[in-house]
Amino acid sequence: MNEHIDTTTEWVCDKCRQALVSQKVKVRYLDGNFEVDLLKCPTCQMVFISDELAMGKMLEVEKGLEDK
Amino acid sequence: MDLDQLLEISNQCIHSEPPVCVASCPVHMDVIAFVSEVEKGNFSGAYKMMESKIPLSRLIGKICDHPCEKACVRSHAGGSIRIGELEKSVVTFGYSAPKKPLLLPKNKGNIAVIGGGLSGCVAAIELDKKGYKVALFEKSNRLGGRLWEYVSKGLEAREIEEELGMIEQKGIAVHYGVEVLEEDLPRYLETYDAIYLGARTWSKSYTVDPHSFQSEISALFIGGGIQNPNALMIESASSGKRAAVSIDRYITQSSMLASREREGVFETKLHYATDQVAPLASVPLSASIYSQDEAAAEASRCLKCQCDACIKACVHMQRFSITPDSYIRSICHNERIVLGTRRANLMINSCTECGLCKAVCPVGIGMADIIHATRESMVKRNKMPLSAHDFALKDMAFSQSDYFSLVRKQPSKEASKDLFYYPMIAFSAYARGLYKGSGKTGYLFYPGCQLSSTHTDYIGSIYKHLVGVIKEKDAMSDVGLFLGCCGAPADWAGRGDLMHDNVEKIRQTWEAEGRPTFILACSSCASTFAKYLPMIQTVSLWEIFDTYGLPEVDIKKGKRELCIHDACAIRDNPKIHESIRNIVKTLGYSVQELEYSKEKTKCCGYGGLVACANPEQAEEFAADRICESDPDVLVYCAMCKDMLVKGNKRAYHILDIIYANEINQETPQKMPTLSDRQNNRKRLKRQLLKEIWNEEEEGAMDPTYDFALHISDEITALMEKRFILLGDVEKVVANSLSHQERFFNPKSSDYLARLRIQNVTYWVRYEESGRDITVKDAYMHRMEVVEG
Ligand code: SF4
Ligand code: SF4
Ligand code: SF4
Ligand SMILES: [Zn+2]
Repeated sequence: MNEHIDTTTEWVCDKCRQALVSQKVKVRYLDGNFEVDLLKCPTCQMVFISDELAMGKMLEVEKGLEDK
Repeated sequence: MDLDQLLEISNQCIHSEPPVCVASCPVHMDVIAFVSEVEKGNFSGAYKMMESKIPLSRLIGKICDHPCEKACVRSHAGGSIRIGELEKSVVTFGYSAPKKPLLLPKNKGNIAVIGGGLSGCVAAIELDKKGYKVALFEKSNRLGGRLWEYVSKGLEAREIEEELGMIEQKGIAVHYGVEVLEEDLPRYLETYDAIYLGARTWSKSYTVDPHSFQSEISALFIGGGIQNPNALMIESASSGKRAAVSIDRYITQSSMLASREREGVFETKLHYATDQVAPLASVPLSASIYSQDEAAAEASRCLKCQCDACIKACVHMQRFSITPDSYIRSICHNERIVLGTRRANLMINSCTECGLCKAVCPVGIGMADIIHATRESMVKRNKMPLSAHDFALKDMAFSQSDYFSLVRKQPSKEASKDLFYYPMIAFSAYARGLYKGSGKTGYLFYPGCQLSSTHTDYIGSIYKHLVGVIKEKDAMSDVGLFLGCCGAPADWAGRGDLMHDNVEKIRQTWEAEGRPTFILACSSCASTFAKYLPMIQTVSLWEIFDTYGLPEVDIKKGKRELCIHDACAIRDNPKIHESIRNIVKTLGYSVQELEYSKEKTKCCGYGGLVACANPEQAEEFAADRICESDPDVLVYCAMCKDMLVKGNKRAYHILDIIYANEINQETPQKMPTLSDRQNNRKRLKRQLLKEIWNEEEEGAMDPTYDFALHISDEITALMEKRFILLGDVEKVVANSLSHQERFFNPKSSDYLARLRIQNVTYWVRYEESGRDITVKDAYMHRMEVVEG
């Protein structure tokens, strides 16, 4: 899931007023468990997912796992 | 699922059965491929087709007695295709001399062919092709036998010489002037590995197996004139060819008879129906043979007979380019996969289970039951893709929840006494019906979840009308109301577990209410009840309207023509078809019947939850249905209307014309969104309780928010496509405001927030201005992101 994930963004965490940083994050679906680099708030840990990522690569991986 | 039984079904499919012309051709020339080339004007291509099946095709093609023509089904519709004439012109325009044969080593064995007539020549050529060293013995001084009788009767001597000359060029040893007699046979049998005897006459008679041409002497094979003195030329050629196959099997010691049942002339299972075919006469010959144009015109008359009734009718099979036989094979394969990707999942979830294939199949093969069983098996083995039906199942749960579910008896006489005053009691059949309240529920009106979602405002009026007309005729039977979902979504999703629970609840309600007759308004409910609740007596709302009378509405009688799109779920219910047509005519419309109607109706695309699992496939169903009809469409299923209107076709629900709402031809029609539908169901329950039962729903169930959402049409459309509800967006925004859980973009001043609701994470991007929230994007993922 790694290829096209932005490592920089204009978005900041609203609560913590922190710039987001790229870090390894656990994601899981059905029997799949991955670690991927995603942008998150270094303080509250909230993870940022863009429309492109959710409806693109993530959807593709979800569908792939569903057919396994 | 019993996969072997399934494969058995696929074997009955006659999609690959040859047309009768091919089956009655002794060498099975591929007539359809052949005429298709002729039609395109590709004569050399057509000649290749002949060459691959007809031995000595340059000669036989000109003199074949064409038994295929006698069999051709076109004979009842203007005359058989003149395959014989087409072959002649194809030889004339498409023949080209073969390339010099490659002389391959002939080391599979030594064969003697006795008799250089047609069958002997063919056997020799075929055996040579298979890699045998062949010696051909002919008592006269030329090969060809009966072929020479056709000189200047279709053939030229030069052609015969050229063609038969090839035999020696191939390396076959031809011995002229050698007469082999019965007493010579033992010697030949000793010298050669096998013998083909194709002489005209023979002194001794042998028993010959009619399928293999093998005699009681196992190395001796007999065909041609001895075997059948009156054989047509093509039959002699065929016998030589088949004997060569037998000799090869004999020598390679493979089974003599395995899979040869259909050699030579056989009976095809394909009975191509021509009653719908417009007659078209054969193209006359303007000279001794067809010109190229004449041949192409004659070829185009061919019906290319093949069973594809189901494929022609079903855009699902078209989309996946699949026929039931191959479909079943992929299902079996998909079911057997233990590790790896199940590639057929999407296909299996793209069948609407509409049943049309079965209705048009001459041998009664239907995919609907098979697909249903497959989906149930996938669910049981935990292999059903979660996202395929998740939204629909959640929506069903909503219908079953207190937001919508409701059972009420007819309001009692006691509770309704306020209505019993003049003139109310004189003019309102409903009030009179309540006045006659017996306390015994004879009927339960069950409008179903989808009609309630999209045609909400009719439900109360219908209920009152039912109380009026039914109590008028049958004073003992009160009419109650039951709001709920029949479970069709669970059935389509293969969720036998949910289905069972739901059916059980309905059955209990039915018992508790004293076993009333259900009045059904939805075609899916009708089919679900028939399938799972056969003990419950049901009647369609349309039959009630047809027999008890329509609501009295100030109707300007329609004069237009409408075409009726029957609902696929009740294709086998002629009573409903009948009453719908009666109502439409009573209201003054004329009816245009579609080619696919009643028991052969097509699905709108909603069936089988395809709109959920594969929206593009669903749209294709709708588009396919739409292009069939010119006038506006009349439907009697809420989902059909939804699908057709979304495909930009003007469609009316029968309730629209009953309640005179077939209005304003100019304004585009709009269907409620997924969120509207849930809200409509809530609203309906609330309204009916208040209006009819004078009850306030206890406890305001809806959360209230102190912000106002603004969503453009564009974003609404995006949410629809992504199955995102307004309620979900509200929850995300509310959570982001109260916990400040959101991202901020200093450049655009937008906020972006997420919230996991059950098994989905929803994201909303919005602009905030005071209490106004303008939504700019909404998306989702099912994957769980572990924060922290
Ligand atoms: S119409 Fe064509 S395919 Fe059908 S039987 Fe005749 S020649 Fe064969
Ligand atoms: S969509 Fe209908 S016609 Fe097509 S395969 Fe499924 S049940 Fe048969
Ligand atoms: S209608 Fe379809 S399933 Fe039935 S025999 Fe023909 S090709 Fe096969
Ligand atoms: Zn933070």
